[in-house]
Amino acid sequence: MRTEILASGFGGQGVVRLGQILGEAAVKQGYRVTMLKSHGTEMRGGYVRSQLVISKEPIGSPMVENADFFVALSLAAYKAFKHLVTKNGIILYDPAFVVELDNTLPCTQTAIPAKDLAVEKFGRAVFANTIMLGVLAKLVEEFDPKILLESILHIIPKYQEQNEKAFELGCALL
Amino acid sequence: MKRYLETGNFAITEGAILAGCRFFAGYPITPATELAEAMSSRLPQEGGIFIQGEDECAALHLCVGAALGGYKAMTATSGPGYILYADPYGWAIGSEIPVVILNSGRVGPVSGITGAPGQGEFYLTRYPTQGGNFETIVLAPNSAQEAMAMTVEAFYLSERFRTPVTVLADQLITDGFEDISVPESDGEMEEMGFRTWPRKINRGPEFYPAMDEIDVPPVVLGHNTGALCSDWTPTEEGYDIEQVQAHHKHAYRLIYKVRNHRSLFNHLYEKNFMDDDPDLVVVSYGTPSRVVNTAVKKARQSGLKVGAVRLINLWPFPDEHFRRKTKYLSVELNWDGQLVREVQRAAPKDSEVHFIGSCGDLPTVTDLIEAFERLLQGQSLARRGWELEEW
Repeated sequence: MRTEILASGFGGQGVVRLGQILGEAAVKQGYRVTMLKSHGTEMRGGYVRSQLVISKEPIGSPMVENADFFVALSLAAYKAFKHLVTKNGIILYDPAFVVELDNTLPCTQTAIPAKDLAVEKFGRAVFANTIMLGVLAKLVEEFDPKILLESILHIIPKYQEQNEKAFELGCALL
Repeated sequence: MKRYLETGNFAITEGAILAGCRFFAGYPITPATELAEAMSSRLPQEGGIFIQGEDECAALHLCVGAALGGYKAMTATSGPGYILYADPYGWAIGSEIPVVILNSGRVGPVSGITGAPGQGEFYLTRYPTQGGNFETIVLAPNSAQEAMAMTVEAFYLSERFRTPVTVLADQLITDGFEDISVPESDGEMEEMGFRTWPRKINRGPEFYPAMDEIDVPPVVLGHNTGALCSDWTPTEEGYDIEQVQAHHKHAYRLIYKVRNHRSLFNHLYEKNFMDDDPDLVVVSYGTPSRVVNTAVKKARQSGLKVGAVRLINLWPFPDEHFRRKTKYLSVELNWDGQLVREVQRAAPKDSEVHFIGSCGDLPTVTDLIEAFERLLQGQSLARRGWELEEW
């Protein structure tokens, strides 16, 4: 069994950090993990992408081709990768960026207004990803929310109090 | 043994330190910058030296100098930096100086795309400098964990053969994160399949271990020693001389010290589903091979008689894997087709050799299975860039 998670958005949104935090939590829970990151073209209108694969077995292809979860943080990313999500998969999109939805997709699409919530509750958009991680902690059954929070606090040593609150907010969203 | 979620750059750094590397000179370039960063913090902790060169050419010259002084030395770069190594690479080959070079392939030519993987340096790693009359050793891992082990192997081979060894990775390996286990002792290294040998970390003339059963003596430089640090052809007595006879001996040695001892590294390959003489053999190296392995496994489940050969030792090219007449398919991260030409050369004359190239992104399992089906049904690969003859 492998679980595939894709995250994509603009450069600077923390797409790679998000994948790294999820990956580290999975390693702590004894999973095999690959997390590919693509970047470099974001300044010219492209996207940054993290492709995370989690499995109990050694991982062959590290590519996300059948995503179980897709975190879409920009319209360009949403358009580029929405078709990779499986029928039973879930797209978590931030409506502040993904302003146009494709309603023909067979998967579930859930709006997570992480950016607006982060600005409203904590005064800064930078906490949006921690909210998103809270949502994922509850949705992805492989993750133990306690260990995921530990990874957040380990990888981002700053603003621990706010991050903890933002994570809890995310956990309670759905 | 410690487990991490870390990048290949981290894994390669730890591999180098396990091998005894205590000198790194490099020039930052994506996707190998983090390797230089990691070295700059790890080497001082281990009593080693980190230097940022003014460019790649200077960086490898620094490594070559450090190796002559007795350090196990390493540098790391990507394609645009690798070409600038041409001059010091030649010095290291000609003067028989061990040094390890990491090349993390990105999309080319020239600067191309920094943050996307490429395999455009298959032939460049064979001929990294001018002049010919030499053999090169190149190892290509397909994961961060294997990159750590192959870095250790590269140090071993570079010392054993007294020649530079290139570890050819790609952006997905060095930049990507993966679960990594770092051994903490020689015992753990052995358990995990790493090469161990009586390697010394301290500098000094005894640094290069004198080993039996190989015609490469330890480095002792100077007159009457048989080795000379010079860009001219040396005589066996250690004088530089522009004389054809002396050159024949020198060139023969540079080529055949490697060719005659291939058994030291020609076990470095992986074969999957190759026991029943498959109708299609898929050939690859580096990260694409992971997709190939998944695709071949799936194809087998649906009854396609496909096998996979994954090369870890790229150069000298292992012709022995391609002796059987069958269909071959080379899967590469470039559109011009490089590995495929070598397979065409090595395979029996009337074999069919096909090619799938992708540029900047891995092929998908779906694409590959579709290609296997087409080839097994005798159809051509219709998509752009999938057949050499279309170009």
